[in-house]
Amino acid sequence: MTAHQTGSGGIDRRRLLARAALGGATIVGATALGGIDADAAFAAQQPSLDPAISKSEFVEGRITAISGSVLEVAGSYGDRSRVQMTNATSVWKVRPTTAKVIEVGDGLYARGVKMPDGTVAADAVWVNIVNIHTTIRGIEKQRLHLAHGSHEITGNVIGDTSAAYAGRAPTSDLSRLRIGQSAQVLGAWRPSDNSVDVVRISVGH
Amino acid sequence: MACGSTSLWAGETSWFCCGNAWGPCTGAGGGACGNCQSSANHGAWPNASQACWDITRPDLCGENIPRRGCGSVMNVKHQCSGATVCITITDCGPRTKEWCGEASCCNGQCRTNRVLDLTPAAYSALGDLSSGMLPVYIYE
Amino acid sequence: MLSTTSSLAPVALAVLLGWTGALKLFGSGAARQAPKTALARMLSSSERAVLVLRATGLAELLLAAGLLAAPRSPLPGAATALLGACFLGYLARARVIAPESSCGCTANDSAPVTWRAFARAGLVLAGGAAAATASAAWWTTVGERPAASAAVLAAGGVLLTALSADLERWWLLPLRRTRMRLFGHPLAGGTAGGKQVPVAATVQLLENSLAWQAASPVVRSGLLDHWDEAGWRFLLYSGLYVEEDGEARPVSVVFALDATASRDTAGAPAARVSVVDADTGEPVGVDLAAVRPRDALPVAG
Repeated sequence: MTAHQTGSGGIDRRRLLARAALGGATIVGATALGGIDADAAFAAQQPSLDPAISKSEFVEGRITAISGSVLEVAGSYGDRSRVQMTNATSVWKVRPTTAKVIEVGDGLYARGVKMPDGTVAADAVWVNIVNIHTTIRGIEKQRLHLAHGSHEITGNVIGDTSAAYAGRAPTSDLSRLRIGQSAQVLGAWRPSDNSVDVVRISVGH
Repeated sequence: MACGSTSLWAGETSWFCCGNAWGPCTGAGGGACGNCQSSANHGAWPNASQACWDITRPDLCGENIPRRGCGSVMNVKHQCSGATVCITITDCGPRTKEWCGEASCCNGQCRTNRVLDLTPAAYSALGDLSSGMLPVYIYE
Repeated sequence: MLSTTSSLAPVALAVLLGWTGALKLFGSGAARQAPKTALARMLSSSERAVLVLRATGLAELLLAAGLLAAPRSPLPGAATALLGACFLGYLARARVIAPESSCGCTANDSAPVTWRAFARAGLVLAGGAAAATASAAWWTTVGERPAASAAVLAAGGVLLTALSADLERWWLLPLRRTRMRLFGHPLAGGTAGGKQVPVAATVQLLENSLAWQAASPVVRSGLLDHWDEAGWRFLLYSGLYVEEDGEARPVSVVFALDATASRDTAGAPAARVSVVDADTGEPVGVDLAAVRPRDALPVAG
């Protein structure tokens, strides 16, 4: 089974959570909350936004140092940030994982809340994540040759690479990819060799 | 900058990177308007100019998206969660014509066709970057 | 063989220079690509870069004509070698000051400066030197040794094509397609995931569901953890639940969905959701229908 990592605790905690979800859980079926006419909601006037409401903070850059649970981040425009990881912070690096796999030199996007000392307490961090428009130029067992603009990118096919064809749900069947197709690649950049681990490749018609 | 409440369009949004960046985004440049930044709440619109329209061709998917040039401000709302973010158009995209008919849904209510691309900053205010696609309403 | 190669060098060079020269001089690509070239960076002006590209194109065409018409004169060959040396110098400089820029080598090609551009410029230099020292005119060689000449010219053509990135779509992609037709799709037969529904598909199903619509105002994180058990797939998020008294309480939000269902599965699969206290694990009595929509994120930037 695909029992990936455990963010905050081990198997016991998972059991507890599973019991909570299935046992005393709220069951939400397709119509449990009643119909919502989404299009009517769209046409209705939006309440004006209150600029006084606290804003979620966004951090972008390369990780320059890791001190305990704090990531030091150098932004692409010369700015510097400190990102505080907590038990509640989700970490994505190729897949949902833990802060242990984050390395100095990784690229990062983080969303969180700014603390009074300027540190951002992260709700979610995405490490090395990329979402690029490419053309498939070659298909091999272990990798895809991709063109992104005028750049050649090697896309590594990994165990959990999935593909989405013409808007359908992602599947592990990669055999319908064709050379010459345009493809949106959601993946994880590897700083060591500048290749990309392909997590999900979506192709149109 | 003011962020309006008049409905403009609805569809799917994806995300992209621009400006100074790391990884394959290096050299992405400032986009069609020259000032696009991944870390700012920016977006790409398929009809940012005539040259842009010629690349994206949303009309081939039946989307006659109106012209909104560089600097236009839009309010983007996640159809499912209601989370919203205010963005400035700084680039041209996505290539709507390549994804005709693709849909993202909320409880059976679907938005079809990619009509917007958001920077990671803007997209992450609405959802999870690893999802890659969201159904949105766009206001101005 | 060496003399055959050197006497045929002018032909191969003339084809190469004629092609790249014509693209630079007459092609609309030159004006379009010029701003992206390292040349534009060096001259700090796209307009000047276009002029230099056009002038280089003209020089290449003249050299191509000279190489074909006067193969026994050392002049066209020497000038070509000089041009090759200039290309090499330009590429080396471009690599230093603007490694991400395109070289503008063929005016259509926006690929950055790579080893192939260097190899091609090196060939122009070597070919020019060979042409300058050729003892016989190319037509004499072709007349005397037609088979050897054809082989040498074909080899030259293959070499130059392999070194031109913008010609790849004419040979490399069809070659790869043919290989796939002959030997089958390299990715057929499934990956390690087999027939299992990818977690991404379950997450997509969740994000499209009413359960998500109801619970997302509480959710703050991305996907924290996931596991399969007894036919269910559990997806764990962390969040913040603001109680009526305004107190914010850290919570875990756990969803349970059919592990075999995806958006393409028929019917509307139910999703179960529970909100539990992050510390105690006690269920939090969240009325999901009454949760305030999360409009706390928006702000004018």
